Amino acid sequence: MKKILSMIVMLFVGASLVACAEKTTTVSTSSFDETKSINVYTRDTTSGTRTGFMEGIGFAEAATNDSVLADGFLIKDNTGILTTIAIDEYGIGYVSLSSVNSSIKGLQFNGVAPTEANVVNDTYALKRPFMWMIRAEGDYPSQNVEDIVKAFVAFLGTTDGGDIINNQGAIALPSTTTWDSIKSNHNICIQDNSSVTVRFGGSDSIQKVAQALTAAFMPKCGNFVAEHDHTGSSDAYKRTNDPAIKDTSVGKDVGFASRNFRGSELDVPEVRRGQLAWDAIVAIVNLNNPLVNVTAEDLKKMYDGTYKTWSEILG
Amino acid sequence: MSQNLLKIKFNNTSRGKIIDKLSKIVFMSATIISASFIFIIAGIILIRGVVPFVTDNLGVGRVSLFHFLTGDVWLIGETFASSLYSIGFIIVSTLFITLLALAISFPVGVLTALFIAKIAPKPIAKILRVVIETLASIPSIVFGLFGAGVILKLVYDFSSLIGYQSKGGNSILSVVIVLALMTIPTITTISEVAIRSVDPAVEQGSLALGASKTQTNFKVVLSSAKSGIFTAAILGIGRSLGEATAVSLVAGGRRSGLSFDLLDTTSTLTTIMLEGLKETTGIDYDIRFSVGLILMMVILLTNILLNAIKRRVGVVHVKE
Repeated sequence: MKKILSMIVMLFVGASLVACAEKTTTVSTSSFDETKSINVYTRDTTSGTRTGFMEGIGFAEAATNDSVLADGFLIKDNTGILTTIAIDEYGIGYVSLSSVNSSIKGLQFNGVAPTEANVVNDTYALKRPFMWMIRAEGDYPSQNVEDIVKAFVAFLGTTDGGDIINNQGAIALPSTTTWDSIKSNHNICIQDNSSVTVRFGGSDSIQKVAQALTAAFMPKCGNFVAEHDHTGSSDAYKRTNDPAIKDTSVGKDVGFASRNFRGSELDVPEVRRGQLAWDAIVAIVNLNNPLVNVTAEDLKKMYDGTYKTWSEILG
Repeated sequence: MSQNLLKIKFNNTSRGKIIDKLSKIVFMSATIISASFIFIIAGIILIRGVVPFVTDNLGVGRVSLFHFLTGDVWLIGETFASSLYSIGFIIVSTLFITLLALAISFPVGVLTALFIAKIAPKPIAKILRVVIETLASIPSIVFGLFGAGVILKLVYDFSSLIGYQSKGGNSILSVVIVLALMTIPTITTISEVAIRSVDPAVEQGSLALGASKTQTNFKVVLSSAKSGIFTAAILGIGRSLGEATAVSLVAGGRRSGLSFDLLDTTSTLTTIMLEGLKETTGIDYDIRFSVGLILMMVILLTNILLNAIKRRVGVVHVKE
């Protein structure tokens, strides 16, 4: 019996030694092999980041369709992509800018590094704006609603609002004003508004940010009731300003869009629309990967399977 | 006087009977409540899971049950606009993974149990028992984190060592290792109890007849305890089939094509339900109930099959 036991112990010791040996060899031979295939990592089709990324690289049909992606792609969540790209030398993935860390390499997009500064100064292009739009003056269910909406828009531009936006993974526009310094301009917030309902809608990508903002703003403004019904970016204009829809049951007081306003939407005067944040997405690779810069074209070719090995993009 | 006494006595018994009856009702209603939850849950899953097959899903179109059960691609076409869902390849890979995990955890678990129950000195056995019981109570997400942080890297290094380009370690192998780690403690704890409850007289008889300790352990102790050991395997399989969180962290989210390649990505019934669940709506949400329905059926069928085997194994007696 003792012999068998000691043999088992020996086997374990041997196995652990082999495990050690494995580790040292991989560390010493970690040079990048360009002939390896590209492992494509993506979020699942319900992800707003996926929509933002695919639209940003000109591959909008892949936002909700797995069938058009390169063969053998992997589906992971935000953290899953980060941790596996840190392991997988031949993988490419994308995450929101706020989650980029030093365990992976964030790629430059069209030669611009993915930093918050470059997003705010509008040079980093793989991003989309988060916009807001409100109804015309005097076109609200009541004066109270109008005053609360105006206070809310003012709140969006404060550092307090900015903190909430940043906590949700988006990037707020730079600001130095605090809510405390401007709240005296909004007397509506002193009174009890618990009977006032304000209707929020528009882009569903912004829903989380919008809900966090209203949840933080409600106690600051007399506990008004925020009603969220997010259906899509084009409803930001339609449900607040389109004469045919704005007064129906789906009408909204504040609408959000996760893209720039366009066409007839721009007829709304500039005081009634604006930007609250940027949502930036970064393509990431393993630290061993020599790639530093990509274009939308490169990323699209990697994600649709045109480029199969790393030599095709590096060479 | 004596009549009075009798009266009191009688009163007491009738009060006792009322209490008996009351407690019976209370216990029974508690049982009914807890038992009915099984039917409520199964019923709701059934009703919601059938919806994609019988309605046209708000204009998206009816899901074909045959295609759903036999297809090779999770979803052909655009999410929310297509009804071409199928999980045929996922059912097969789920069973394949469960079987592989059991192939590792069963021998390791049973041998560990044998060691703790029969071979290890008492104080060591005591410590080992605590260790195994602690392992069995570790939540699955912790195993998942260990899998994502350690096993993925090990599998990735291992495959690059043998010249295979792994997808960041996300593979059947990683899933199998995580599931094996999770089921070993379950199998060990239950088999150990079964092994310990083997009648010492049987064992001593074997030793007295001149069999060595090892012969006795394998041929007499293990075969006497096999019914209990089989129960351990059934519970292990149950845990493997039902695990979602830990598996989804290392599976890689395969969406098409059946693959038995140990180093390639995979999906199980539970991971496909979990991925995107929190963000999705409409048919893409409802279809997850259908997957849950299929999963419940798979578990039910496996249990029926295993219990049938167990009954056959159970009646085979040790040769006297």
